[in-house]
Amino acid sequence: MADLGRAALVVSFGLALYAACAGTYAALQKRNRLADSARNALVACFGSTIVAAIVLALALVHHDFSFVYVANHTSRDLSTIYALTAFWGGQEGSLLLWLLVLSGYGALVVLLNRKLLRDLIVWVVPIMGTLATFFSFILVAVASPFKTQVPPLDGAGLTPSLQNPYMVAHPPMLYLGYVGLSVPFAFAAAAMISGHTDERWIVATRRWTLTAWMFLGFGQILGAHWAYIEVGWGGYYGWDPVENAALMPWLAATAFLHSVMVQERKGMLRVWNMILVALSFELAVFGDFLTRSGVVNSIHSFAQSPIGGWFLGFVVATSLFSVALILWRLPLLRARTKLESALSREATFLYNNLLFVALCLTILWGVLFPILTSVFLGESRTIGRPYYDFFLRIFGLPLLLLMGIGPLIAWRRSSARALLKTLRWPILAALIAGGGLIAAGAGSSHPGLIAYTFCVFVLTTIVVELVRGTRATGSLLQLVARNRRRYGGYVVHAAVVLFAIGVAGSSAYQTNVERTLKPGQSTRIDGYTVSYKQMQKIPSVSESGRQVEDRAVLALGGRAHGTLDTSLINSSLLGPSHEVGIRTDYLRAQDLYVILSQQNADGSVIFQILVKPLVNLIWLAGFIFLGGSLITLWPDAREQRRLVARLALARG
Amino acid sequence: MTALILGAIVAVAAVVLVSLPFFADSDVIDAPDERAERRLELMDARDRALAALKELEFDHRTGKIDDVDYRRLVGPLRRAAAEALQGIDQQAKE
Amino acid sequence: MGVTGRTRSPARLVVALAVAGVLAVFLIYTAVGGSEPLLQPSNLAGHNGNVSLTGKVVGKVKGDAGSTGGLRFTLHNIQGASILVPVVYRGAVPDLFKTGREVNLNGHLNGSTFVSTSMTTKCPSKYTTAPNSTE
Repeated sequence: MADLGRAALVVSFGLALYAACAGTYAALQKRNRLADSARNALVACFGSTIVAAIVLALALVHHDFSFVYVANHTSRDLSTIYALTAFWGGQEGSLLLWLLVLSGYGALVVLLNRKLLRDLIVWVVPIMGTLATFFSFILVAVASPFKTQVPPLDGAGLTPSLQNPYMVAHPPMLYLGYVGLSVPFAFAAAAMISGHTDERWIVATRRWTLTAWMFLGFGQILGAHWAYIEVGWGGYYGWDPVENAALMPWLAATAFLHSVMVQERKGMLRVWNMILVALSFELAVFGDFLTRSGVVNSIHSFAQSPIGGWFLGFVVATSLFSVALILWRLPLLRARTKLESALSREATFLYNNLLFVALCLTILWGVLFPILTSVFLGESRTIGRPYYDFFLRIFGLPLLLLMGIGPLIAWRRSSARALLKTLRWPILAALIAGGGLIAAGAGSSHPGLIAYTFCVFVLTTIVVELVRGTRATGSLLQLVARNRRRYGGYVVHAAVVLFAIGVAGSSAYQTNVERTLKPGQSTRIDGYTVSYKQMQKIPSVSESGRQVEDRAVLALGGRAHGTLDTSLINSSLLGPSHEVGIRTDYLRAQDLYVILSQQNADGSVIFQILVKPLVNLIWLAGFIFLGGSLITLWPDAREQRRLVARLALARG
Repeated sequence: MTALILGAIVAVAAVVLVSLPFFADSDVIDAPDERAERRLELMDARDRALAALKELEFDHRTGKIDDVDYRRLVGPLRRAAAEALQGIDQQAKE
Repeated sequence: MGVTGRTRSPARLVVALAVAGVLAVFLIYTAVGGSEPLLQPSNLAGHNGNVSLTGKVVGKVKGDAGSTGGLRFTLHNIQGASILVPVVYRGAVPDLFKTGREVNLNGHLNGSTFVSTSMTTKCPSKYTTAPNSTE
């Protein structure tokens, strides 16, 4: 069966290559039938990739250890769900997933637009084909999931820390995001090559970009929650290169989603939009390169793999291609209308772009720093957390402010007086809130205080907008239903504000202490009483060998009640691991987070206790983000009619 | 053996799909319905113009844009919408 | 359009470039000032001050991270030959720490021993081959 998988991938490679080459020739020479043939090849590529994927999936489920990949990443006692999850648990399988999603997106986009946008699709086909050619080439020649061997008795198994529901959802979601960004990129490149750089390509790809962005964003929140409850150091984001690899394209895509609104309405920022969409795509592939190549020191360790070189080459080639295209079409892209005032909605979008790109590049600099210093200074140096936190505040806080000002400021030109008049309620609310917060002790952290005040400002602007709109329409539901893009966007903004409050609260205002307790002793932290009752020793045998769980039973008093367990598990095979104890106070949205740091010879235990205010707003924000994105994606009645008409036309 | 057969099926299906356009009359398979496409483009333009007008009216009604600015901005938008509607009418007549 | 457009652009360009320049200077200053060397056992020697050390734990692990004697183990380059660096670690032991694990330590050289109070282990990779394979 491995032969079938290998053959299917070779067919995928051939089809992708044909789509790329024949598609290019057809576009240049305006050969309709050849263009259709190339387009069919792209669709067929998805078909053969599905075959390859099914072969691997079946091998995983059946524990067919003659597949090297199956033997390396699963074992006989692995349940079916986690055996399937091992599909993307390793290098070759995750590459196959990438190709599957890429060819799937490609097939769908060209099928839905069979009779429309032909001037653009005729170039989208070879571009997507080229991307698919690269990935299928890697799968055929460099990292094949279908290598075979004499089957061993049992496989190596999936790392226990990866056997949880997060592993089922987090990587596929991120891939739907990363790979989805190639659709707007392909359309943008097609627009530039064909010379049709008006907003048609933006209107055509809006939902694709939104969908990819939504998956990428929610996937990251899932990852953060996973880290928070599983890895157990009390945090949810470590500015690790692999985490940054997902954040950077998401930031660029966020800037792009906003910036295109200006192009749609005013025909401005067109060069910016080309740069932003290319940047989003390149950062997504570059992020994949970082993750796989082992070139950067990360807490997620990776082998130094030859694949890195190929990916780097791919990133460089596609970047040069994008730059060349933009430079070539610069005259076409130049705006027809000029920015009239630094105090206008167009200008706020420009500032938005600048801040997002600045934040993106800051993070990129931090990620590349060890490599650059090792090459240019001869010695590798690494940048720590304070650098990222500093620049997150410098760029993030103004972005927060813009989120409130942008929707209320007028197009073309506004005066300072008019702006202050429009913003009088938000400003007032922010000042009052600021005063109240200082009185409540929030002045202990200046960035935290500023973040909170800005959040109140933005939330008030959203409320003002909703109130004004409801007054004019009569019903809130009708208001949102009739203006889905705008109010769906406001819901997403509200999610971002909640997220910012959650992050500010749980970082700037958290309490983090170490207490040594003997059984029977207790300690008070922030209104909680934590009493160490007893230690239970629980031995067990699992697929990860023998282990002993040292479970500390704690009794809570004060703000919380009942017991809380926190454990240190010692596994013969894997070493120590922590199961942290988290008690969530839903009313206050805060967490009491206890880690069993170590046990001393005299029977006392060192606990690390954190109180994280408002941390659960982050997870709530994730769901609101999802909801807001879906509202924005959902077509209203008129749009539905138009989409149905387009679909009918596509079917012919 | 099954692998061989399935593999052959995949390869043959691929070849068939790719060569399909060459066997049909180019006017029949997936030929662009120029009229329908043009109509959709015009409808897109009309929808965009009407949406911009609707947004302006809405912002004016909720007080975000004052009367002076409204009067300044509404003219060009109304013209764009009228042109788009005219375009659709004309195409229907053709 | 035309002439008025051209006289406005240079001002904006200058502002943009100035902002970019200030930012670049700022970034370089912060990054160089706020960074620390990222080393392996093979190039650790001679570095005074705080550094970040990455390596693989080899040999026996002795002692207790909570006691004054500290947790004692030896570090080797992750790949390739290198000298062995003895490490004394005091503090919370991170998840999955054991012989054979790749770790990252923050600390400094005290004589020929590396002293550290902050350690992270690398998650056993999804993308490396299994420990039993011969690659």
